Amino acid sequence: MSTDPQSFLTALRLSDSFLPVGGYTASYGLEQYLNEDRIEDGDDLQALLAAYLRRVVGPCETVALANAHGASTAADLETLLAVDERLHAVTMPQEFRESSTKAGAKLCELLGETAAESGPEGGTDLESAFADTVASDDTPGHYPVVFGVVAERRGLSRLEACLAHAYSFITGLLGAAQRLGRFGHTEIQSVLEALGPTIAETCERHVDDEVTAMASFAPLAEIMGMRHERAGRRLFMS
Amino acid sequence: MGYRDVAKVGLGGPVGSGKTALVKRLVPELVDEGYDVGVIANDIMTQEDADVFRESFADLLPEDLVEGVETGACPHTGIREDPSMNLAAIDEFTERHPDLDVVLIESGGDNLAATFNPELADYFLFVISVAEGEDIPRKRGPGVTQADLLVVNKTDLAPHVDADLDVIEADAGEVRGDDPFVFTNCKDGSGVGSVLEHVEREVLFV
Repeated sequence: MSTDPQSFLTALRLSDSFLPVGGYTASYGLEQYLNEDRIEDGDDLQALLAAYLRRVVGPCETVALANAHGASTAADLETLLAVDERLHAVTMPQEFRESSTKAGAKLCELLGETAAESGPEGGTDLESAFADTVASDDTPGHYPVVFGVVAERRGLSRLEACLAHAYSFITGLLGAAQRLGRFGHTEIQSVLEALGPTIAETCERHVDDEVTAMASFAPLAEIMGMRHERAGRRLFMS
Repeated sequence: MGYRDVAKVGLGGPVGSGKTALVKRLVPELVDEGYDVGVIANDIMTQEDADVFRESFADLLPEDLVEGVETGACPHTGIREDPSMNLAAIDEFTERHPDLDVVLIESGGDNLAATFNPELADYFLFVISVAEGEDIPRKRGPGVTQADLLVVNKTDLAPHVDADLDVIEADAGEVRGDDPFVFTNCKDGSGVGSVLEHVEREVLFV
């Protein structure tokens, strides 16, 4: 693991809800689980999020992120676009795709603008080329893919990048759960603490997967994501 | 003694719905019933607001049982994701007044989305006003649907703002299922007795 201070700060920045990429508007189907009273307490929430990690975040998003990171190291735009396309194909619910691509586009824009202002250390050729392709709608620009590139370009190792992403995914959903349901802050932190080993285990398991291994199998979460499109109550975009 | 040893009642709701007016009605009633009451206002812009509360309750409550908690322009966060400053204020209340029975916590004005952290409020009321539009209940905001008690205030204004109380009643019944709601007019006090009954029964176990 890297101990480079600047990389460490980048990991904190990318996994912080302070990062203005709209993460707080996404629930990835969680709102629908709550709409249908399928989650009643912290244990239910923890079990669901562990399943998200094992079935979606790990085999799908982490694989995309890790391969995007690798493509970034190799400065290989073609592979990067292939990773993005595959992630788009394996993400079934429309709203999941939209939440991910909207956040991805915002991260591209944000880092493009702030890096330009902070001088030569920021934006890089591959990052700019990918951001241009996203901006021109020639690739979906999924969040884990953009995340993989910006993390690699700023010195995070592949595993660190995967961990930072998985952690922020989970804290994003815990925040959504707290806003939608009735969970105490201590209970939410207990769930987060209990999920720590699952986050680490999931990332370690999938960090070296080939891009062709990318797949998700979470039928109920996907059905919840699809039902959410027509839900009577919608506070979240997904 | 700490925040876990005292009953805590949250009051949330949009700006101008009558949360402060309801607190002003409930405090004298609770004091009359013999309870030791504390009040926390999150709905403040300056400590001057808390001073106004202290003045209102000067004959009813010790000055150090009225507190204003600034929430850094994030009223939802203060009562939901991170209620630690509110809990710290309650801890101070209980240290100074070990016999304290109940604390009323008024949230900052919101947009129907505010809910209370269950560690901060054992029971929470969501106050809306008929003047905000008769469609408020059917929007199914988390405050409206999840509150332990929905309070529909300013019923006296209904005819002046073309709000049909029958529509509000039907919608509130539909979105809340078996959970209760009451109509109030905090200006003349009507309905406040019913709110008090709910609070006493559900939180103070009377």
